[in-house]
Amino acid sequence: MVEEYVFQFSSSAYLEKLSGKQACNLDELLKLIESCTLSSIFYHTFSALRKLREVHVPYTNDFAVWISRNLHEEALSEKLGAIDLTEYNTIESLKARIVEIIKDFRDQNQPAFQKKAGEPFYLCDVTRIVYLTDKFAYNLKSFREVLDSISIDSLYFHFIESRLYNQLHLDDISTWIEQSLGLNKLAQGIRNIDINVYTLNEIRAKIAQLIDENLNKLNTKPTV
Amino acid sequence: MNIPTLSDYKSVVGRDVIEELYILASHVGNRSIKMVNSTATGGGVAEMLHRVVPLLNELGVETKWEVIKGGSDFFDITKAFHNALQGNEEVLPKEAFNTYLAYNEMNSHEMNFNEDLIVIHDPQPAALIQWSLNRKSKWVWRCHIDMSHPNQQVWKYLRPYIEQYDAAIFSSPLFSPELSIPQYRFYPVIDPLADKNRDLELTYINSTLQKYKIPRDKPIITQISRYDPWKDPIGVIQAFKIARKNVDCRLLLVGDKAADDPEAEAILTKVKEEAKDDPDIHIIFLTNSIPTEINAFQRASDIILQKSIREGFALTVSEALWKYRPVIGGSVGGIPAQIIHGFTGMLVHSVEGASLQIRRLLSQPELARRLGENGHRRVKDEFLITKSLKRYLLLLLALDHPAQDKISLT
Repeated sequence: MVEEYVFQFSSSAYLEKLSGKQACNLDELLKLIESCTLSSIFYHTFSALRKLREVHVPYTNDFAVWISRNLHEEALSEKLGAIDLTEYNTIESLKARIVEIIKDFRDQNQPAFQKKAGEPFYLCDVTRIVYLTDKFAYNLKSFREVLDSISIDSLYFHFIESRLYNQLHLDDISTWIEQSLGLNKLAQGIRNIDINVYTLNEIRAKIAQLIDENLNKLNTKPTV
Repeated sequence: MNIPTLSDYKSVVGRDVIEELYILASHVGNRSIKMVNSTATGGGVAEMLHRVVPLLNELGVETKWEVIKGGSDFFDITKAFHNALQGNEEVLPKEAFNTYLAYNEMNSHEMNFNEDLIVIHDPQPAALIQWSLNRKSKWVWRCHIDMSHPNQQVWKYLRPYIEQYDAAIFSSPLFSPELSIPQYRFYPVIDPLADKNRDLELTYINSTLQKYKIPRDKPIITQISRYDPWKDPIGVIQAFKIARKNVDCRLLLVGDKAADDPEAEAILTKVKEEAKDDPDIHIIFLTNSIPTEINAFQRASDIILQKSIREGFALTVSEALWKYRPVIGGSVGGIPAQIIHGFTGMLVHSVEGASLQIRRLLSQPELARRLGENGHRRVKDEFLITKSLKRYLLLLLALDHPAQDKISLT
């Protein structure tokens, strides 16, 4: 027996902050990352992914892009750029992984740490504001109806950022569909959508397609 | 044209974006803002306040705008302050600072600051806070200028005033100094419904080009900028001439000159010398540009250049990207924030680089189209006036919880 819960859509917004701190080489970057706030790490990873995703830029974090553009250390940039944010449900663990990658690189590439960057890396920070919207879903059909009208920020919050709040590796759309509607297969299909490949609007279309297929199946089921 | 309301923006930015502004505003509640600057007309700050203030009121945030008063002696000094904060090394006499302070004090007695949030724009009224030390409101200093290399005399003088504020806002991390108060980043924005950016009839675009005798027989490359060495108009002509060896095209240089720049005439003369009466190079000098004509020049262009070698934020880039134009920009100031190289435009560092990208984009129309489309999306996400409204709403919420990096309004 599945207990049904109403899904109230939330959304999130960021107010970008400036720290006045900067790094001009890898050594300084590492020190900045080690000493900065977790919200700074969030800004340069999760919100970096949000800000450029809609223009099809393969952009997962600011550190990787800065290292490529300003130090031309492509191997390190690739390693950082390949970090899959969905694998991290806390910023602490993500920060530790970034530090680990840079330190491993330092052990094998000491000269790279002496290179001076063309442009400094400017450390930023963010205040995140999460708020409830006036949109609700009561079942799969109403979820599908609302899905087209929610903002990109709302979709981003539920499909990507919410992983940091529920401390699971799961988005809360598929979690609701599984736990509240009992549609495990549909939930799994949604979880298989690769956030590193699609724009948010494409992710919306993918989710919509999976739900439509499910609703069509329900409608065509022969009655016993 | 009537002043646009929020509802008019739905068709431009999307219904969902406007709906979320109203939702955020409902979380903000009954709040008030006072904007203070030094001029009601002229300049980007006044232009934007004319649009932002009524739209914030429409969202239910009671917003007023006041302009400080001063004699020509005050404004001469604040102009020197402005130039100094942008790097001018002039040394100002002690009396200049006394005059600055006297006018700020006079204005502070004539104004009241009962709103929840006081936003002081730029250095002219920055010292007003000195006479509001027992304030209940939150005070924020919004700096619109490039402070990456400030004149130390002026900055050391202003800094103690700035650090009395609850927060400061800068347009880019490049422009912000280290301060003891929180700093926020507000990108400058364009208004998609302003005459400079709104959709135009093709007939108007064609008639504008006819008016300035610009044939449309070949691709048009355009730079719209003041005739100023930092905008590198000479470099633009050189890049165009190299590119034209491979691709047939026209160059359109459109701009005015800074009224306070005695060298402007000399620069324009040099530009004309470099062009050497080339019939494919059109140099248009405007004393009072008409926004719809600038709009038409941009929309008629196949490529927009902003080949600056030093720059503030360069919103001309966002204006062009908004019109789906592929843009080649110098990698300076705020241009890299708008142009993600290879995705929303092309960044260049030299005349040769600019020339190569002109040839590339004229030869690869599909790439040019994709850059224009991506650029449009980037501007839609970050550099439109609706984003500025959102930032003010978020600022009101953030200042309520200054110690929190995450605020849940549930």
